[in-house]
Amino acid sequence: MSDNKFIVRAAPFLRHRDDIKSIMWTVIIALMPATLWALYLYRFRALSVILFTILFTQLFEWIFLKIRGIKNLTSVAFDGSALVTGLLIALNLPSASPWWMCAIGGFVAMLFGKHVYGGLGNNPFNPALVARVFLLLSFPTIMTTWTVGLNPDVISAATPLGMIKAEGLSSIQNLDMLKMFIGLPVSGTGGGSIGEISELALLLGGLLLIARGIIKPLIPIIYIGTVFIFTGIFYFVDPGAYASPVFHMVTGGLFLGAFFMATDYVTTPLTAKGKLIFALGCGIITSLIRLFGSYPEGVSFSILIMNALTPTIDKYTKTRKFGG
Amino acid sequence: MIRAKTFRMGGIHPVEKKELAENSALDRMPIPELLHVPVNQHIGAPCKILVNAGDRVKKNQILAETEAGLGSIVHSPVSGECIDVKEMVFPGNRKNSVIIIKNDNLNEKMENTEIQIEPARDTGSFLDILKNAGIIGMGGAGFPTYFKMNPPKDKSCDMLIINAAECEPYLNADYRAMLEYSDKLIEGISYILDSMGMKTAIIGIESNKPKAVDMLNKINNDSRITIQPVKTKYPQGAEKQLIYSLTKRVVPIRKLPFEVGVIVQNVGTILAIHDAAFNAKPLTDRILTVSGNGIKNPKNIIAAVGTLVKDVIEFCGGLDNAIYAINGGPMMGKAFDDFDLPVTKTTSGLLFLTEDECEETEERACIRCSKCLFVCPMGLNPTALMDASKKRKYEYMDDVLDCIECGSCTYICPSGRQLADSIIKGKEKYNKYLKRGK
Repeated sequence: MSDNKFIVRAAPFLRHRDDIKSIMWTVIIALMPATLWALYLYRFRALSVILFTILFTQLFEWIFLKIRGIKNLTSVAFDGSALVTGLLIALNLPSASPWWMCAIGGFVAMLFGKHVYGGLGNNPFNPALVARVFLLLSFPTIMTTWTVGLNPDVISAATPLGMIKAEGLSSIQNLDMLKMFIGLPVSGTGGGSIGEISELALLLGGLLLIARGIIKPLIPIIYIGTVFIFTGIFYFVDPGAYASPVFHMVTGGLFLGAFFMATDYVTTPLTAKGKLIFALGCGIITSLIRLFGSYPEGVSFSILIMNALTPTIDKYTKTRKFGG
Repeated sequence: MIRAKTFRMGGIHPVEKKELAENSALDRMPIPELLHVPVNQHIGAPCKILVNAGDRVKKNQILAETEAGLGSIVHSPVSGECIDVKEMVFPGNRKNSVIIIKNDNLNEKMENTEIQIEPARDTGSFLDILKNAGIIGMGGAGFPTYFKMNPPKDKSCDMLIINAAECEPYLNADYRAMLEYSDKLIEGISYILDSMGMKTAIIGIESNKPKAVDMLNKINNDSRITIQPVKTKYPQGAEKQLIYSLTKRVVPIRKLPFEVGVIVQNVGTILAIHDAAFNAKPLTDRILTVSGNGIKNPKNIIAAVGTLVKDVIEFCGGLDNAIYAINGGPMMGKAFDDFDLPVTKTTSGLLFLTEDECEETEERACIRCSKCLFVCPMGLNPTALMDASKKRKYEYMDDVLDCIECGSCTYICPSGRQLADSIIKGKEKYNKYLKRGK
């Protein structure tokens, strides 16, 4: 009766349905509202940015996994993580980004953001943000040229956050913040990165992630809340010198960062307390850069800085034992 | 809104799979011709074997006896001949002697066993009954019950908790026992309360068993006993978690329930106590669930201790595409592939699962999703403990001792990492390290 075809391994024998692949694909689905909105606004230009970035990111993922001699190459390479990184890089680029910049972005994200550290799980920094900041510092002109409408050669304008730095607070006083929240074109502004235009679309995606149990609402709430309160205090003290907190909500990469990048598993702290500190730090640094920095936007930098602090936060935030 | 009582932190909701066998009434399996009665079924000191090959034994005769300290005695479930005593390897690589009895079908009992009696209700005779009937915790751990019922003199225990959560998926043994032996269960609890001088008892039942709750409420005639549904959430039946769910008392880390005035016993254990006290019947039977898509007729059975797994499989119609055989539940049970092993006093279930019921997952690097931290009912950091355990970083391993081995971390891990298994192995390594004197 003894039969060797029976498998003997350790308990438990049941598994939750979510694995890396299903989680990554849920993130991709959650990014669809913002992606579709980008395609609607920028048509062919957005399509080209998205396709080239995803293609090159996935290609370099495969190449570096191959070089590292990873087993199950196909299943690891196509676990969806590179796809998420690629899509996030694309959504963080201006619509006029040339294909070679998309390629460099994919290369930098996969090499310096991911595989030099030993691949998924070992990277200290969010790979998509490493790529974005690399491109921002290497190609500052392209990375801050925001086209208005579909033809990149005709008009370009600053983002609402950029307008404050360049032209002063009065330039944004009459912008329609509801339109900005929904992501409708606001005349006189150049929008922003293709994926950050509609806070509504990002919020929908974020809610999906929360509803599916992929992320906990803690980080987005604390991050966005901190920016709101921090910028709100300055606005309350001197509304003539600082933009309203609502303006800070509906502009820039805050929602994209708070829902999709500050919640990246690998590069954020493990415990609830750690996540709280992380999100608080992101909110404060973002606000400081926006209000006082020379860059108009601080989401990418703030998340990367807090990524760097994550090991330290993990060290000092322990779980609380039941009965301990 | 009334929120179902539950434990403080962590927990998961695996598939329940109770439907496979929950409506199958307890079926007493005929005692096979050969019984393989294990000598050591409990946690504690090994037993001394009292019979030799060739000896004739009566039903309920003591086969093995505890010599000193923590231990539990073993009785023969049948009359017949002892034909051999040999060593077998049990799941988890534990060696154990087995006494093989050839059943003569004469059912010749020891004197003064299986007779109706009205037991005295004092602690001394109560503990003697537990000891002489060989009763051990039937929830799975197998801790001798007379030790568990005998807290240190300076601790006063006023509350008895009956663990009827049965939170492991697939298992229905306690559920069926509650439905079919509800009167014995209540009578047994009253008897224990009287004998121990305890004030109250709470029966904690997961809310996915409303019929059991109704049945016990109907039968219950003792005002000291409360039937309390608790949220269906794994591991609701873990001792410290259930105590918190029912009483909000927190058992301090590395302490036993009597620290908070509580003693916890499983449904099966109470029924065994009832049998011993009112029928002078030692513990030689086991109620267990045989289930899974890999067995033809999933059912709940009463089997004699020592019945071989292969006999149980035959009794349940044979196997059907099973690739896993599990002793216990699918969360904490042990996989085995030797069907010549016997049912013991702690066998709560035998599961035969097919490939689509439990696919094997490819193990990847930790992606730091922190899900294991959020599901751990003890508030540990499983991913850190796994790494420390694997690398033997003893200075970071102390928390492994607080792991209750529920497997929630491995269940939730999207990277398919064997967190629980690594931590359980880490426990062994760390205990050895502590013994070596650091």
